[in-house]
This record gives sequence, C-alpha cells and structure tokens, in this order.
Amino acid sequence: MDDRRRRFEAQALPHLDAAYNLARWLSRSPVDADDIVQDAMLRAFRAFDGFRGGDAKAWLLTIVRNCWASAGAAARRRGHTPLDDENLVAEEATPEASAIQAGTKKRLDVLIAALPEEFREVLILREMEDMSYREIADITGAPIGTVMSRLARARAMLRETAKALL
Amino acid sequence: MTCKETLNTQSYLDGALDGVAAEAAERHLQSCAECQAFAADTADLSDALRGATRFHAPDTLRLRLAKQLDRETRPAKGFWLGAASGGGVSALAAGLAFFLLLPPSAATLAQSVVDAHSAALTGGKTIMVASSNHHTVKPWLAAHAGISPPVTDFASAGFILTGGRTDQVAGRPAAVAVYAHGNHQLDLFAWADRGAPLPAGGMVRGFRTSFWKMGDLDYAAVSDMDAGSFRKFVDLAKAQRE
Repeated sequence: MDDRRRRFEAQALPHLDAAYNLARWLSRSPVDADDIVQDAMLRAFRAFDGFRGGDAKAWLLTIVRNCWASAGAAARRRGHTPLDDENLVAEEATPEASAIQAGTKKRLDVLIAALPEEFREVLILREMEDMSYREIADITGAPIGTVMSRLARARAMLRETAKALL
Repeated sequence: MTCKETLNTQSYLDGALDGVAAEAAERHLQSCAECQAFAADTADLSDALRGATRFHAPDTLRLRLAKQLDRETRPAKGFWLGAASGGGVSALAAGLAFFLLLPPSAATLAQSVVDAHSAALTGGKTIMVASSNHHTVKPWLAAHAGISPPVTDFASAGFILTGGRTDQVAGRPAAVAVYAHGNHQLDLFAWADRGAPLPAGGMVRGFRTSFWKMGDLDYAAVSDMDAGSFRKFVDLAKAQRE
C-alpha cells in the first residue's frame, strides 16, 4: 500500500467518527452526512501531502465543515433545502412539545437539532468533540470572540428548552 | 445574567485560560454567586449532553471510502497491461493482485491488526497491565478499552496470559489480551462487531492471523508461533465463554 494511504489511515481515519458526527449534526440528515463525509475524506486524502503534523482531527473537521457549507450553497442554488432527519426534527410541534413525545434517549437530540446552525456547530464541536476555542474558530471561520459568545448563547438556549430534562 | 465576567468564567470552565488569567478567573468565581450558579448550570448541561447521540460513521460509508481510496491509490491502467504482458512479474504482480482481490475493508482490517501487533512488539509496549490473573485483566480492559471480551489463562495448554493493553484496529478501540508461548507472543484482539466482513486469515507480513466473530465482538489472533500451536490457541480461544 502506498505511503500516503498508510499515513492517512493512521492519522486521519481514526477521526472518521468525529467527521461523521459533525456532518450529521450540521446537515441533520444521514444521507447528506454520508455525501459530505465522503467528499471531505477524498479532499482530505488528496490534500494530505500538504498536512504537516498538528492536530489531524481539527484539520479534518475544517474540511468537513467546508464541504457542508459548499453542499448547502449548491443546494440553495438548485432551489431545494436538504431533507431534515426525521429522527431528529419534528414536523409541526414546537421543539419542547416534540421532545416530550420522543423517547428519553432522543429528547436531548431533538432539542440540539432545533438550535440554529451557527449555535449548533459550536456546541457540538465543544461538548462532543472537545475542540478548543482556537480550533473551533479555525473550523468555523469565526473570530474567537464570536465563538465564545455563540457558545454561551447555545448553552443558554439549550438550558432553557431542556429545563425539564436537566 | 448581569455579571460582566460570565464569558470569562465560561472560558475558564472550558479550559481556555491558563496561568495568571486562570488564577484571576478562579478568584472571581469564588466570590461571585452568579458565576457559581452559571458554572453549576454549565456543568449540568455538559453532563446531560453526554446522553445525546454521538453518531458513528456507518460501515457502508467506511466501505465506500475504502473503495474510493483504492481508486485514488491504484496505478494507472496502462501499468497493469504492461506489467501483465511483460512476463516475469510474478512476485510484484501476485502481491498486488492478492491485495486487490480482498474486499478493501477486510484487507484494511488484516493490515491494521498486524500493524498494531508489530508496532507493539517493536515499541516494546505490548502490555499496559501485567497480570496472569484474568480477574485483573478483564476488568482493566473493560475500563480502558470499553470492551470486555472473555479472558482466560490457557497456561495448562502452554499459553500463558501475561497481561493486556488497549489498541486500535482500523481506527476503532480494541481490547488486547497478551499471551506468551515459549519465546513467541500472541495478541488476542477484540473489538465491537459492526457487521464488516472479516479477513480470511492466514499469513500477513510474516504473522499468522485468524479472525472470527462471537457474540457482538470481532476477534483476531496474531502471532509468529508455529502453525500447529497457533491453531490450537485459536480453537481454545473460540471455545472460551464468559
């Protein structure tokens, strides 16, 4: 097997679950998450010679986030919105009402999925993927001060809607 | 929230401050009831978020990625035609063709297990918990790898349990029970089965390998011991129960 592939499998592939988790939470669709991650991994592999050490996870998540953003832009140009994940997003009810209907395990998922995307992404990156403020700023392309205030806002919103669960 | 330091307190809680800034934030936190309440709320939310779903890449996606990487890494077609018609290419072509015939994920799995075994041998880090007592090794693996395979000492059959370690197989956490047989070491890997096809086993880069599924775990035995002993161990391992 060639050397680049070996290094890629050793350094980048262990973060595939993180890449998929981010894509899934951003797109809220299993089908879109698959496409985004496949696209991102291919781009990452082709660009891997340019990756000089550092944190492969943050590097990979940046590519995933870019792929998601450009997939979203392409979808908007075609005039359709991505399918929402039926498991995560309720159709008509308010987030709070549908959370109560959903199974215990899924309640919190529904509330996270209902957060606006700029708040959802910082929350996922910080709380699930354990990224630092600096890394989140690099991944999302937002200034670090914005990351901090969005994270505070995301937590406040979630605390409010999840009151009954906490 | 009326305290102006809340954002700074959040930075402190998120580990984004160090040195003097962290000390100042800690002092503020000790004297500000509002930030203390905020810290408690933030911790509660973090705890609750551990119950939210962290999605795992499906195996269908892993398989598609492996195929995609195969296409990216495969030499251009002209090379193959040239090589095939050139004669006298047995070693190189046979080696590569063998590789291409295997399902990519199974090939990756076989490589990964042998990589992990040889990296442990050359790095001298084969054992993280040294014990011949399966009552010590099993809970250690459960706590550190999150996987709890049956662990049995087969000393009476000549395979002495020497300890365990955590490792990775194709990017997934694996529990490894380590056995000694004369001068040879054997690693018994276990990882969560996700329905991926397993390699057929056999020799991989000079190591004997064997793969099987049992319950909700996939297993791989890897060693350079002789064929007879290796088969005997695999039979014992397959027969062990919780």
